[in-house]
Amino acid sequence: MKKKAYIKADEAETSFGLFKGLEVRIGQIVDDEWDEPMGPTPMPGPTTLRSWDYKLLTKYQPSYMPYCQVCCLCTFGKCDLSGDKRGACGLDMKGQQARIVLIAANMGCSAHLAHARHLVEHLIEEYGPRTKLIQGPGTEIHAPVSRLVTGMRPRTLEDASIILDYCESQLTHTMSATHTGQEGSWMDFESKVFHTGMIDQLSMEIADLVQVSTLGMPQADPDAPLVESGFGMMDTNKAIILTIGHNVVPASFITDYITENKLNDQVEVGGICCTAWDITRHDPKAKVIGPISWQLRFIRSGKADVIVVDAQCIRTDVVTEAKKVGSPVISTSDKAVMGLPDRTDDSIDSIVEEIVSGKIPGAYISDPHKVGEVATRVALAVKPVRRKKRYFPSAKKIQQLAQDCQKCMECVRACPNSLNVQEAVLAAQSGNMQPLRDVFKNCIGCARCEAACPNDFELHTWMVAVSQKICENEKFIVRTGRGAIQDTEIRRVGQPIVFGEIPGIIAHVGCANYPGGGQDVHDMAEEFAKRRFIVVTSGCAAMSAGFIKDENGQTIYERRSGEFDAGCVVNVGSCVANSHIAGAAIKIAAIFAKRNLRGNYAEIADYIHNRVGAVGISWGAMSQKAASIAAGFWRLGVPVIVGPHGSKYRRMLLGRADRDQDWMVYDARTGERVYTAPGPEHLFYAAETVAEANVLTAKLCIRPNDTSKGRAIKLSHYVDLHEKYMGYFPEDVWKYVRRESDIPITLKDKILAQMKENKWKERPIPDPTLLKEQVFTGGE
Amino acid sequence: MMRATPWQTGEICGPVSAKSLNKPEQLKRVWSKAKKPLMIVGSKASTIKFGKGDMIDFSIEFSKITKTPIVATGGAVKHFIERGFEGAKSMGVMEIVGYLQDPKWKGPHGQGPHDMILTHSLPYYMEWTMLSGIMNFARHIVPISLSRYYQPHATWSMPNLKEKNYQELLKGILVFVGGGK
Repeated sequence: MKKKAYIKADEAETSFGLFKGLEVRIGQIVDDEWDEPMGPTPMPGPTTLRSWDYKLLTKYQPSYMPYCQVCCLCTFGKCDLSGDKRGACGLDMKGQQARIVLIAANMGCSAHLAHARHLVEHLIEEYGPRTKLIQGPGTEIHAPVSRLVTGMRPRTLEDASIILDYCESQLTHTMSATHTGQEGSWMDFESKVFHTGMIDQLSMEIADLVQVSTLGMPQADPDAPLVESGFGMMDTNKAIILTIGHNVVPASFITDYITENKLNDQVEVGGICCTAWDITRHDPKAKVIGPISWQLRFIRSGKADVIVVDAQCIRTDVVTEAKKVGSPVISTSDKAVMGLPDRTDDSIDSIVEEIVSGKIPGAYISDPHKVGEVATRVALAVKPVRRKKRYFPSAKKIQQLAQDCQKCMECVRACPNSLNVQEAVLAAQSGNMQPLRDVFKNCIGCARCEAACPNDFELHTWMVAVSQKICENEKFIVRTGRGAIQDTEIRRVGQPIVFGEIPGIIAHVGCANYPGGGQDVHDMAEEFAKRRFIVVTSGCAAMSAGFIKDENGQTIYERRSGEFDAGCVVNVGSCVANSHIAGAAIKIAAIFAKRNLRGNYAEIADYIHNRVGAVGISWGAMSQKAASIAAGFWRLGVPVIVGPHGSKYRRMLLGRADRDQDWMVYDARTGERVYTAPGPEHLFYAAETVAEANVLTAKLCIRPNDTSKGRAIKLSHYVDLHEKYMGYFPEDVWKYVRRESDIPITLKDKILAQMKENKWKERPIPDPTLLKEQVFTGGE
Repeated sequence: MMRATPWQTGEICGPVSAKSLNKPEQLKRVWSKAKKPLMIVGSKASTIKFGKGDMIDFSIEFSKITKTPIVATGGAVKHFIERGFEGAKSMGVMEIVGYLQDPKWKGPHGQGPHDMILTHSLPYYMEWTMLSGIMNFARHIVPISLSRYYQPHATWSMPNLKEKNYQELLKGILVFVGGGK
């Protein structure tokens, strides 16, 4: 592998003297220690994998549900695209919708990529470009996504930087395609969506790899520490620093400062959203307060003596909200300065003095070294005064205010989940606060009800205020993110997964925009873990899964091992650790099937699509990042289910079970075209209810390559869940029977009857591939 | 004709939006033209009141009167089965949107291709997105929303009715299609 090396230093002291603005270009370095042959598509451009994308997009066609019928992206418009109309640029409705999907994927990818770039630049500055990248013990195939996409093994921070150069160039291309007068085909827009998703997955892998290598986080550790979490875990006897976002660097300097100065008995750090996972991976003494949807409730509780925001998923009104409870805010990322004065170059003493005295509501400090000390000193200084204050209205005050409710229903109409806020307010008029608590239970914390209220009632505050006892009891033990999956674990489970005997890998990922509270995520994870699927978690979903206790007071992480094995619940970490879930699927192809990964994307995606029964679920998907993460899995042929709010992504990727021609594969052994059952049936799907999601999850684990034993196991789960949630025996089981040995023994009579009724005929179990070229290599 | 505003206030749409359905007779023209309607019943049907029962009961009655096949989404089929009604099939609502875009699709009961859908009892925003898919890409279908709150992407939709008026209109619709006696 040849690559260019480029070293840049603002200041370098050498034996020749002091150099400022030093830049050295070495030309090319040859990685001659790697004997794996280079595959056909290293560092693919936007159209290199187009033919693979087209195969998937023909099988799983987009179904668009436009948010509006006009385009308002240029001054030709607004253009009415309803009916058969085209806009002034020539684009029709379908093309416009595909374009919007690509814009969203680009936004998501850019957030992860910029995060990765910041981490790499910062870590090169701290540790040097030659710092080794280590994913952990038992990870000989480290950075599988990087190997697969770029053909490179990133072994140093410098290598990571080269990979990010590639990612940035690709993102520029895919983003530019959305400009007026560029791409015109919905299919090619969608192909670029897949490309963006793949780049996103790559940038996430780099982000997690570099932080795991340098910041003392668990390295592929199934026994990653159990850490304290929940609203009630925060110790108000100490000063509390709340960190929000995804980029752990500033938060890591805070915990380091606290530890170095032996202040752990005086200050504690809690996180919301992915910074929570990464700060506990860096320092298990830190705490996970909760998912993104708990931001406002914790800020308004006034418990945070200082709020430190980094990047992504931060409430953009954080400064306004913090002012209400007198919490200073420190912003640390150029992506989210939040209007605060830049104090990066000022002395720590002067920054602390200005914030503590209240002269400024906070500060933007881009130097993380300073953030650690400033945040800690400010928190300690303001805590004594802040603890004396009361931040919530009393029940009596709420009752009094509620009398003025105009019964306009605007709060209900503004609520994404149509929660009956008005009814709760009317109950509060008579002192009954229980309905407010009930609303709070399923509230996603957006506060749109408040924005809509003509009386400017602080409705979210009321809900939190009357639910304080519930909040104080929210104390959970969760396993922090372990990082990558070890090769040895893959060796153990690779065969049973590919043969279908471990019926599937179910990944619960993403945000907390839940239709009915976070318990759904826990219940879905538990349903499949007890059926001995491998359950993987990350991000806010990983928190929600852990925020329910059983009758013994244990969370799912206390009950179940963190190994990558049947019946276990594996928290990989923050959003960027999602790359390890893809990495595990990729490593199955390398370890179990001995496939080359290096620059060999289409072959490996084809392998995963046809053999690895993995399903991603993002029950509370909210962000553009969730869209780009999903896109990365689509290109690997892995289906993704989202919750009902996910229908607002405005595009599903749906298979047609009734069209046999869509389910033909090549038999790699013979080259014949062979019919397989519709599995996986869809590539992207918004489920209306948990019931629908659970049944679909089991069904989407079916793969053409399943052995008879594996298929029988998968069918028995599908039938059982269908009967449980739909109330009857599913009518399409016969389609999935290739030979009688596929039939689960206990269901034989019913399925045989169904087969007879539908004139079923035996068919071969192929060595399945969508790629004709795989026939000539003989497949496995 | 006056257009209502979407129930969830942010869910506005484009230049084309549903006509307000206040009286059953307004459906006379489209109903008389419909040859193969399909009723799509969402997961909330068992929690939305209709008379002394719920929207599952309404759907069953409507289906019995008009011979309209029912497809239940999100697990609602379980309630139909529990009530001994065998005319309901189960599909996901997103699947239905995709399939209905094919003008040759015979429908879950094999009685299509359908030229009209009657929808109700889905989460508001999901009915909204679903009907957007139909309005824009299944133009051979006339979508009628029988939900209480205004769905702009339907051809006809109720304009955010009060509970009492909603109940009356639903009963009136049953009479209009030949039942409710």
